[in-house]
Amino acid sequence: MNLNPFWSMSANTSRKQRSDNEEQSGHGEQRASPARMPFGRKQLPPIPKNAAPITKPSPLGTPMQSANGTHASYGPFYLEYSLLAEFTLVIKQKLPGIYVQPSHKSALMWFGVIFIRHGLYQDGVFKFTVYIPDNYPDGECPKLVFDIPVFHPLVDPVSGELDVRRAFTKWRRNHNHIWQVLMYARTVFYKINTTDPLNPEAAVLYEKDVQLFKSKVVDSVKLCNSHLFDQPKIDDPYAISFSPWNPAVHEEAKERMFTYKRRPEDHHKVSQASGLSWVKPGSTQPFSKEDNPPQS
Amino acid sequence: MASVVANGNRDGQSLVLKGVDPETCMIVFKNHWAQVVKILEKHDPLRSSSALPSLSVINLTASSSGSSRFGPIPGDEASAVQNYVEHMLFLLMEEESGQAGAMGPILEFVVMENVMERLFVWSLRREFTDDMKLEQLKMYEMLVGQARQPLLHHKPILRPLMMLLSSCSSTTAPAVEAELVLLLNQLCYVLAKDPSILELFFHTSEDQGATNFLIFSLLIPFIHREGTVGQQARDALLLIMSLSAENERVAKHIAENTFFCPVLATGLSGLYSSLPTKLDVPNEEWHCLHKEDWLQMPSLIQFLNSLEFCNAVIQVAHPDIRDQLVSYIYNGFLVPVLAPALHKLTLEEVMTTTAYLDLFLRSVTEPALLQTFLSFILLHRHENVHILDTLVSRINTPFQLGIVSLALFRTLIGLYCEDVMLQLVLRYLIPCNHMMLSQRRVVRERDCYSASAAKILALTPSCCSPDRSPPPLRQLDSILFSKGGETPDNSGNTEEKKSFSEENDGSGNSCTIGSEIYLDVSYLHYLYDARLSISSCIRACQVWSAPYDGEDPPPEKYQPAGSCVPPGTDPLPVNQLELEWDDSYDACPVQTADASAERGPPQPPPAEPPKHIQEMRRTARMLVKGSYIEENDFQDDVMVYDLIAKKDSGDVERTGKPSGSQTEETKPGSAEVPLKNGLNLTVPSPAMVDNSSNSLDAKANGQTDCNANLQNTTAVELGDDLLAQYEELIRTLDHEAGGKPVKADGEVKKPITPVEVVVVEEDEMDFASFSAETPEPEKLHSPFGTINRFRSGSATKNNSLPFTGPFISVLLSRLENMLSNSLHVNLLLTGILAQLAAYPQPLLRSFLLNTNLVFQPTVRSLYQVLAIVKNQIEELAASKKDFTELITAAQHWLMAREPSGGSSGSNHQEGGRILKNSPPPKPKAISLERTEVFATVLFTEFLKELAAIAQEHSILSYIPMEE
Repeated sequence: MNLNPFWSMSANTSRKQRSDNEEQSGHGEQRASPARMPFGRKQLPPIPKNAAPITKPSPLGTPMQSANGTHASYGPFYLEYSLLAEFTLVIKQKLPGIYVQPSHKSALMWFGVIFIRHGLYQDGVFKFTVYIPDNYPDGECPKLVFDIPVFHPLVDPVSGELDVRRAFTKWRRNHNHIWQVLMYARTVFYKINTTDPLNPEAAVLYEKDVQLFKSKVVDSVKLCNSHLFDQPKIDDPYAISFSPWNPAVHEEAKERMFTYKRRPEDHHKVSQASGLSWVKPGSTQPFSKEDNPPQS
Repeated sequence: MASVVANGNRDGQSLVLKGVDPETCMIVFKNHWAQVVKILEKHDPLRSSSALPSLSVINLTASSSGSSRFGPIPGDEASAVQNYVEHMLFLLMEEESGQAGAMGPILEFVVMENVMERLFVWSLRREFTDDMKLEQLKMYEMLVGQARQPLLHHKPILRPLMMLLSSCSSTTAPAVEAELVLLLNQLCYVLAKDPSILELFFHTSEDQGATNFLIFSLLIPFIHREGTVGQQARDALLLIMSLSAENERVAKHIAENTFFCPVLATGLSGLYSSLPTKLDVPNEEWHCLHKEDWLQMPSLIQFLNSLEFCNAVIQVAHPDIRDQLVSYIYNGFLVPVLAPALHKLTLEEVMTTTAYLDLFLRSVTEPALLQTFLSFILLHRHENVHILDTLVSRINTPFQLGIVSLALFRTLIGLYCEDVMLQLVLRYLIPCNHMMLSQRRVVRERDCYSASAAKILALTPSCCSPDRSPPPLRQLDSILFSKGGETPDNSGNTEEKKSFSEENDGSGNSCTIGSEIYLDVSYLHYLYDARLSISSCIRACQVWSAPYDGEDPPPEKYQPAGSCVPPGTDPLPVNQLELEWDDSYDACPVQTADASAERGPPQPPPAEPPKHIQEMRRTARMLVKGSYIEENDFQDDVMVYDLIAKKDSGDVERTGKPSGSQTEETKPGSAEVPLKNGLNLTVPSPAMVDNSSNSLDAKANGQTDCNANLQNTTAVELGDDLLAQYEELIRTLDHEAGGKPVKADGEVKKPITPVEVVVVEEDEMDFASFSAETPEPEKLHSPFGTINRFRSGSATKNNSLPFTGPFISVLLSRLENMLSNSLHVNLLLTGILAQLAAYPQPLLRSFLLNTNLVFQPTVRSLYQVLAIVKNQIEELAASKKDFTELITAAQHWLMAREPSGGSSGSNHQEGGRILKNSPPPKPKAISLERTEVFATVLFTEFLKELAAIAQEHSILSYIPMEE
């Protein structure tokens, strides 16, 4: 959520309310971590009172038992955490000009936006959605669909889907990660590839008439940017939406972003609150720091 | 004056005073003084009206004896003076200071006329009784506490005050003491508000020829006092302590010229010695001193008060004072008092000391003081063995000592202290020898797809599968990971909902996670708790010196000294007859060239092991080779445990094999054969030991400990005490034998009939009466019989073999015995392991949680042990028809104790667990004796807890740190 850049991305009102409630019930430090999915808290039912069965009785006799009895009960947790892990990887990569956010409705659907800062598609701001298969990481590679079909050889002119699969012919767990898909989505705008295009017209124009291609791209960028302030295509509290610059709302946030520094004193305070160490860096001897009071 | 206080507003004076103009007050004051002077001069021995002797030349004793020389002062004159003085002081007290802080006229007069000194001399002239002192003290207390202008800046007021104080220094009357401390306390408050007076206090002292800081010295005797007086004195001293932080002179004076620090530290020793040496343990579940426990013990309250005071002093005082105090506490309390107390002769005493130590660690908050306690535990050697090693070895004792020791380690681990974790666990992991060389890169690898969690949860016993439990216990629900359809049925939403699903359908993407699967809801709580405990641990560990990720500290640099096995190569065969003695007690395993130089207080280990250790080794070797005869000089419990660990290295492969026990024991080359021989030689009732179940092994092990602690006693004492333990052991056995779980080896155990033991009422047992009849060899050697049988051992521990340290070993070996552990032992044990697993250091995390890491064959992992326990449970479940019902009963019983919230001192880490440390209601359907049933339930929950921790690690430990 604090991905919101100063150029006035703002949330739907519904999302705002929701997230406020959630943030309050949670813990302060989680606010700071963008990777924080509200999953844990949102789902958390009140502590089960033993007397009252809190559960919908599951159909007796037909428990969803896979070969390994526990898998069925926990499988979705593994998937959810795999996706969380993917998301933290994205955060870690700090991909230039790319912002994503898992949807409120499902961790399998992520909203994103990509800013192109130079090249043919300069000034383009393209919103997209990533769809992750529900048998992740063992399935196909995730899909990436632009909200508005950008004029590009590798983007389907009707559905807006980017041809991701050409880069990830086989999705290999542990090797392939979602950040790579996002990275790929960025690369296609800087290095144009025309082989096996999804948009043959764009491919042909790029090969034969770059000037026309360029002007079509400019039109496409304009079109996309003109729809920037539209309602999100998918209704979701966490969908990315933009609003025009409003100094009353955004100036302060911008100010804070530019002046933001890690407050060392806060950091210090936190670390003093708990945790102890008298080990000299580079040593493995306890109490090897020099500032030890003498014991004898 | 004092009687004004006592009688309230005599003559309604103060009421009148408010409106009276200052001039009138002055006139009244002067008149009174004139009357007083008349009487004073009449009795002045020198008769010199004006030139009063200066106080500094008055010798107190001379003047008090002088009073008799000039005859007694008539009572009416004395009370007249008293009356006048009361009025005068009242006027002085009420006077406002003049313009721009100038003295008010009365004060000026008091200073000019030296009123206070003359009055003090007058009271000395009369008999200076306790009553008189009390009167004077109260007078000053009123003045200091209530005067409206600063008085203490003026020497004519300050000096007689100091004289009064010093004349009270030797007082013993409680009333005078109380008043004295109250006045001192007042003075300290004034000092704290206005440190400029401090200089005057020193100067005034110098005038007397004394260099001491009188206020301070007078307070010292009251440091350890009970009740209000002690509390006021400590408060006052703390004020001075915080002054010292800013005032070098005060700090220097206190550190160099007073006995403050030694008095404080030795006071701790004194108070400690009056603590009960044995605690009455309320029940078996008891494992540490909670507040409601120590509130019942006045001596402990007093000790804690003083400890808290030390803590406060260290917090506020000047570093010089702090360092001095800390050093006195180390050398004056911990080493000479606490160390021997931890090595007392009986289990109860040792258990009690351990519980005290745990309480102290929980009470101390100041890092410098904690450091003192911790360096005592980690570095101090008592009779050449580190306190820490002794404490670790005691985890494996049965009885209360084991439980209390576990609780102590829970406290230690909860400190998030790098030094502690280094000594306990990390130093054994740093060399990375516990894993295959190729695996080192895996240490930092991230478990992206929850593979470890899945593997851990797959150990869930079939009888405990979440969908097997009947409804109230079943916590299955369909959790909506995908929230598309979650929105309330509000007509406005339907369209949006539709658009969402349409959109989905359109793109052919199903964004649903497990909506039609029933999930274990309780698991969410474990995830939530895991998140909390890991993130607080991560935050705490930010102050640590290294990440412990298999690269920093570099494993190459910290290879064990003299290691002959390069990592990755096959380890030596385990069952070699020649015992490889572990040197970790006389040589630190990760010791490097620079390490020994670094080590400050503890001397670098001697090249030659201490004599008693050499002796120990010899004995141990003899024992293992079967040549062990009768002499038993196992002097140290640590050594005995070591031996057990050693022997157990022969058991590594046993664990997986059911019914392998008998054959294995007779396998040639196995270390157990000679042991068995030794046992049969020396233990008169082999039948009993042979029949013993697993629990005997565990229980009897405690004997070893107690035996080891008996080293210095005479033969009779030794016999008595051992017999007591032995008796207890047999009784427990008798008690438990019936329903004991079967060990993994599947031996069918016959119920034990204690042959030779008369069961007497617990409390009336007179152990001394047995000693004469009991043959000596049995008394001495029964522990070794148990060594032979002791199978739950720690992983092998050897210089040449990879070893993850005694602490991990002992935890895992207790965990392996989970089914026969009592419920509370298991609660503590799993709690500690979960706490360890929450640590973010990749070395520790990968060791405990990464199920894909390939370890050296001799290294036991948590996962391995869990798998062993699971197999035990499956066998048990298969062999007992009513097992499932019992499980359900146990689940109900455990659930029932959860809502009884206010469990004192329960760890926040345990917050969401279904099992808490609250006093249980009496079981109805199931007896707590069925440890195996409770352990099974707990085991299942523990798996969830660990899996949740593993899953949260895969997220939290990789969130980029705010750098």
